[in-house]
Amino acid sequence: MLAGLGASYGTAAVYATRYLYPARPRAKAWMYVARVADIAPGGSLNYTTPGGEKVAIARQAQSGTVDDFVALSSTCPHLGCQVHWESQNERFFCPCHNGTFDKSGKGTGGPPGDAGQSLPRYPLKSEGGLLYIEVPTESLEVADASPPRDGHDPCLGPHLGDGARV
Amino acid sequence: MFSLQAWIRERVPVGPEQLRELTNEPVPNHLKKWWWCLGGTPAYLFVVQIVTGILLAFYYKPAPQTAYESVRYITEEASFGWFIRGLHKWAATLMVAAVVLHQMRVYFTGAYRKPRELNWLVGMCLLLLTLVVGFTGYSLVYEQLSYWGATVGANITDSVPVVGVYMKQLLLGGEVYNDNTLSRFFILHAAVLPVTMAALIALHVTLIRLQGVTEFHFKDEDPKKAKFFNFFPEHLLTELSIGLVLMILLSVLATVLPAEMGPKADPLTTPEVIKPEWFFYVAFRWLKLFTGTLAVLSMGLVVFLMYAWPFIDAQIRKWRPNSEASVWIGIAGALAIIALTVWEASVAH
Repeated sequence: MLAGLGASYGTAAVYATRYLYPARPRAKAWMYVARVADIAPGGSLNYTTPGGEKVAIARQAQSGTVDDFVALSSTCPHLGCQVHWESQNERFFCPCHNGTFDKSGKGTGGPPGDAGQSLPRYPLKSEGGLLYIEVPTESLEVADASPPRDGHDPCLGPHLGDGARV
Repeated sequence: MFSLQAWIRERVPVGPEQLRELTNEPVPNHLKKWWWCLGGTPAYLFVVQIVTGILLAFYYKPAPQTAYESVRYITEEASFGWFIRGLHKWAATLMVAAVVLHQMRVYFTGAYRKPRELNWLVGMCLLLLTLVVGFTGYSLVYEQLSYWGATVGANITDSVPVVGVYMKQLLLGGEVYNDNTLSRFFILHAAVLPVTMAALIALHVTLIRLQGVTEFHFKDEDPKKAKFFNFFPEHLLTELSIGLVLMILLSVLATVLPAEMGPKADPLTTPEVIKPEWFFYVAFRWLKLFTGTLAVLSMGLVVFLMYAWPFIDAQIRKWRPNSEASVWIGIAGALAIIALTVWEASVAH
């Protein structure tokens, strides 16, 4: 009797938990960024994901491979707030808990600095001289369209040299 | 009329005398003073929250596309919507304050000691649930504070070792804040948490009735005077008086300092200055002082110690019967909470 009750209600509880747990991970896709040759060593560009997140992509070497590039997320690794670039301080700053990061994304102060955390990096790849980034393709739907913001249109090419310099 | 009474009596065989006996209990004299009645205050405010919450739910639409606009409609267009929302907001604020003050009263008077340890545990659950229901409540408005508060809250759960990542996904309905998140917060805020709280309040009151209200002895007491008075109707009148004062206070606050609307949530921009509600200032400052996991684990340890305090205190008193350790630890804890709250309130970052 007890075993039956446990099995039936236990199964229902497991199914209920599984029902509440997200069915699938966040959808991602490889998106075109720019021609590798268009970003000079030491140069950078701002890329905006389909969901609207800003990504700072910088070229740090000139070997000609994808390893030359880093793509820094603007999501703070501490508790998920959005960092912004403070040009006067040459740093990324997270207003939630005062996290700071240098231009390479390494944590320099606040909880991320103490924990040795860096800004997350997006995966990059180059194919045929073209640079691609793997980013989430889903975004939060909102009813009223936000005012148009600077963004990346794959048909028009990237915005070069605007915003944060990394 | 007589036939109606007889009809009811036949179906509910309880007379006025039996009802009086069932509901009555001797109440210690100190409860004639309102500051000893802080336990009834959050219960009263909980009822206000249920009633105003049901009214707000008639218009609220829990989706990112509609939530902010529906709250704006309640606040600016629905007849007396501003008043209902103001009552809800201020009752929540006062409820947190009343629960904290009640818990402090219980702590500093040692009313958690044997045989009332279990009721302290129930009270601790109610304290935490009050904070969580406050958190999920301001997350529903879908203003900047709502969005970033929910994001930070979810990532705090993510900092819990081993199970944190699963807890975060269950809370958000995905890896990050998404279209499923707001409806989850709404179900938690409007159904799961209130029902749980109602059950715990019932258990809390039942245990008080079974154990009786803690008796205190005061130096200026007249030994000839009766030490107790009746719950019904004397204490009920005290509680009703408190209810009247609270309703006047809530109405004044809702009118003079109405619930406002901040900027709509922008998932791409964290405001330069962002603060949670005042009752989370302590945790917010703590999170600035320590790394994520250390901050979360240390806060978890503090909560665990608060839960276990009746048993820790019993061990201390067994070792040193006249120890005042609990008072000094309580004062230190209260000062730390006040200091961190004031610190967070007084600076932008």
